Amino acid sequence: MKTRLPVLVAFISGALMIIAFFGRGSMVDAASETALTWQSIVGGFALLLGAVSIVRVHWQKISTRHEDRFYSACLLVCFVVMGGSGVVFGIGGGTLFDGLFQRIQAPMMSTMFSVLAFFIASAAYRAFRARSVSSAILLVAAMVVMLGRIPMGQYIYHGLPAWADWIMTVPSMAVQRGILIGAALGAASMSLRIILGVERTYLGRG
Amino acid sequence: MNNESRLLGAMFLRMGQVRVDRMVSERMPRRPIVGACCNTPLRPGSDTAGSLWEVLIGAFTGFWMVCLGSSLPGLSTLPAASQFAGLFRVERTNALVLSLIFAGAVLWYITQARRGAKMYVRPIPGLSAVDEAVGRATEMGRPIVFIPGTGDLDEIQTIAGLSILGRVARVTARYATPLRVPVLYPLPMAAAQEIVREAYFDEGVEHLDPQTVQYVAGESFSYSARVGGMMLRERPAAAIYMGQFTAESLLIAEVGQSTGAIQIAGTASPDQLPFFIAACDYTLIGEELYAASAYLSGDPRMLGSLKGQDLMKVLIAAAVVVGTIAVSAGWNPGWLLTMFEAK
Amino acid sequence: MSELRPAQPVPRAPFWQRLQAVDRRILYSLIFASVIIPVVWPLHLPTPVTPESRAFFNAVDSLPSGSVVLFPFDFWPSTLPETEPMAVAGLRHCFRKNLRVVGLSNVGMGGPSIADRLLDSIGAEFHKSYGVDYVNLGYKANYSAVLLGMGSKIADIFPADHRGTRLEDIPLMRQVPNYDSVKFVLIISDNAMTDYWVALVNARFGLPMVAGVTAIMAPKMLSYIHSHQLIGLLGGMKGAAEYEQLIGHADKASLGMDAQSLIHFLIISFIILGNAGHFMMRRQQARAGQV
Repeated sequence: MKTRLPVLVAFISGALMIIAFFGRGSMVDAASETALTWQSIVGGFALLLGAVSIVRVHWQKISTRHEDRFYSACLLVCFVVMGGSGVVFGIGGGTLFDGLFQRIQAPMMSTMFSVLAFFIASAAYRAFRARSVSSAILLVAAMVVMLGRIPMGQYIYHGLPAWADWIMTVPSMAVQRGILIGAALGAASMSLRIILGVERTYLGRG
Repeated sequence: MNNESRLLGAMFLRMGQVRVDRMVSERMPRRPIVGACCNTPLRPGSDTAGSLWEVLIGAFTGFWMVCLGSSLPGLSTLPAASQFAGLFRVERTNALVLSLIFAGAVLWYITQARRGAKMYVRPIPGLSAVDEAVGRATEMGRPIVFIPGTGDLDEIQTIAGLSILGRVARVTARYATPLRVPVLYPLPMAAAQEIVREAYFDEGVEHLDPQTVQYVAGESFSYSARVGGMMLRERPAAAIYMGQFTAESLLIAEVGQSTGAIQIAGTASPDQLPFFIAACDYTLIGEELYAASAYLSGDPRMLGSLKGQDLMKVLIAAAVVVGTIAVSAGWNPGWLLTMFEAK
Repeated sequence: MSELRPAQPVPRAPFWQRLQAVDRRILYSLIFASVIIPVVWPLHLPTPVTPESRAFFNAVDSLPSGSVVLFPFDFWPSTLPETEPMAVAGLRHCFRKNLRVVGLSNVGMGGPSIADRLLDSIGAEFHKSYGVDYVNLGYKANYSAVLLGMGSKIADIFPADHRGTRLEDIPLMRQVPNYDSVKFVLIISDNAMTDYWVALVNARFGLPMVAGVTAIMAPKMLSYIHSHQLIGLLGGMKGAAEYEQLIGHADKASLGMDAQSLIHFLIISFIILGNAGHFMMRRQQARAGQV
């Protein structure tokens, strides 16, 4: 029962969505919309689970005097302040929550995003080694694209931007399409396995 | 429809004009439509999967026949057809036909596998390395980090990631290796907790530490900051990233690389693959992620579905070659373009 | 207590070997300097314009005055350095052409506030009035329902704008009941929303659209250009700089391109050095008979 019920729910939901995709009419639309609404409601309740998990994990660290307890305390304080301000004063423009989000969280998110530039540099330095013929081709292509995409590239050789464009739109695009088609078929095959109950590993079985 | 399926459809979009109405009237078989669904027998003693696919095929056939009935001359007078008139999106007939061919191929090979046919799947080094990674972590006495992507549970890549988690959790439970599963959304957290709990229970471990599967943040950069910090502090011996990833992929994988962890990644997000390939020891590319659960479980029925998928891939490749030759030669393969048009 | 031993001199790795494993902190310091230097001393390097960016510009430029443009601000605050210059240039171009802009966001956290801030500031530059020349519908959850539902009736999805004014009280929105009154979609996005706009709105309603996306996403989006589902594309800061150049208003992206040029150059230098070390080590090992 513990496995059969989820498999049955997956089958009914999957079949409903397939019918909604190929069918039309108020009954089909209403059924699929109801299913999507249920999904949103379940997602909303699940958010509570997430909040409970955060508090539980970090409270445990504080109470067991874990070496990271100060980070945990900081997290819980921020959690209460941010959540509390939203609940008490609302989350619209100009509220305390909005101010905290715009002035503290948003710049921190931008900082994390900008760290990517540093990580791309170190990853490229390490990864682009001409160890074989194929990696040498990859290395040359990467350098042409990098130079072709910046203003300096055209001073080195005026044809570089065109070469870079060709690499991006022909070989790179061909490979991406191949990966995409394979992935789409893989996703469809996995969906079919789930709907038919053949695939149960996501339930911890198999 | 998941994102990849939409993209596949979108890629073939606008390659021609649809004349579905003509196609339907010319190609649809004229046969009685009543009871197409009800006549499909349920085989006594068949297992759930067998029964379900028969029901599905029956439902599909019945639905298709009944809904299309209204479009066919002479059939629209039937009571069932008039009752359900116009219920089918005729403009999606090509998608339905392709879906049925695909589903038919997958189901055929699953049936063959159930009858004992041998299914060969080429070795996937990244998956073979999972056991090696767990062994390394056990020897070093350090944890393993498993990230089932940063998508929600309605993303099929997350499901694929969670399928692999079950196997990893089982092996870590067997060798008492600490496991860390930080997740970005609450629903995958609940699913991951259940999967790990089941795996631990199967291996005789009854207590699940709340630190094992934990919700971290609802935003990807906050998430990557937290996961990066955790990796730097706990210095895991192995890190496994399986699922959908966005810009945080390199932020996490590069930190993992700096800690010296053996890293295995798998994603079907083409824009994140280069980052994983640069920062990880093994990377599963695209469909390999979806094949992973079948590969790891060794279940012939699941392996059979991969074979069906390959058949469809051959058909699409053939269509691409024929289409390219036809267009290059100046012919207009309208029927081929129509077949792959999404509406 | 551990036994005290005289310190053993650690043999230093050969130069070529060290060149293959430069401390990442040195790399990061050089990257940091490459960002700061051009900000202080701009180089003003001209940016070659790609066909995709030119097509983006031409598509907006060819719209008749007074046309309604749907302007989704589908990006998180984290990617503002890349996406904001595109949005600003796009708004400047629209307002200069006297196009009417309907803004919205499918990103709940921060999206509507960013839309408000940019629409107001760029609108003020061109003396445009809220409710007449532009409006911000704000955010509604469930993107697929939003994108599809707006095709039938926008007021069903957004009964009021981001400021709480009912749509029937907004002069601009009285003339825009659904997609039939929209001429064009100008998407700025850092996530999969571009795919959904293409799959749900372009495919079903036939609305022409262009997109400005982060540099990482740009290669994937080229397939939509080839299939003519997107008319034009801006890729990352470079795309924004090209667009700024085309509309004749150099701003943050043009300034950022100097830094990007230096960083690309620096990364290429790292790669060359790393490979030089790799080859020299292999040569030395071959000489020593180790290979």
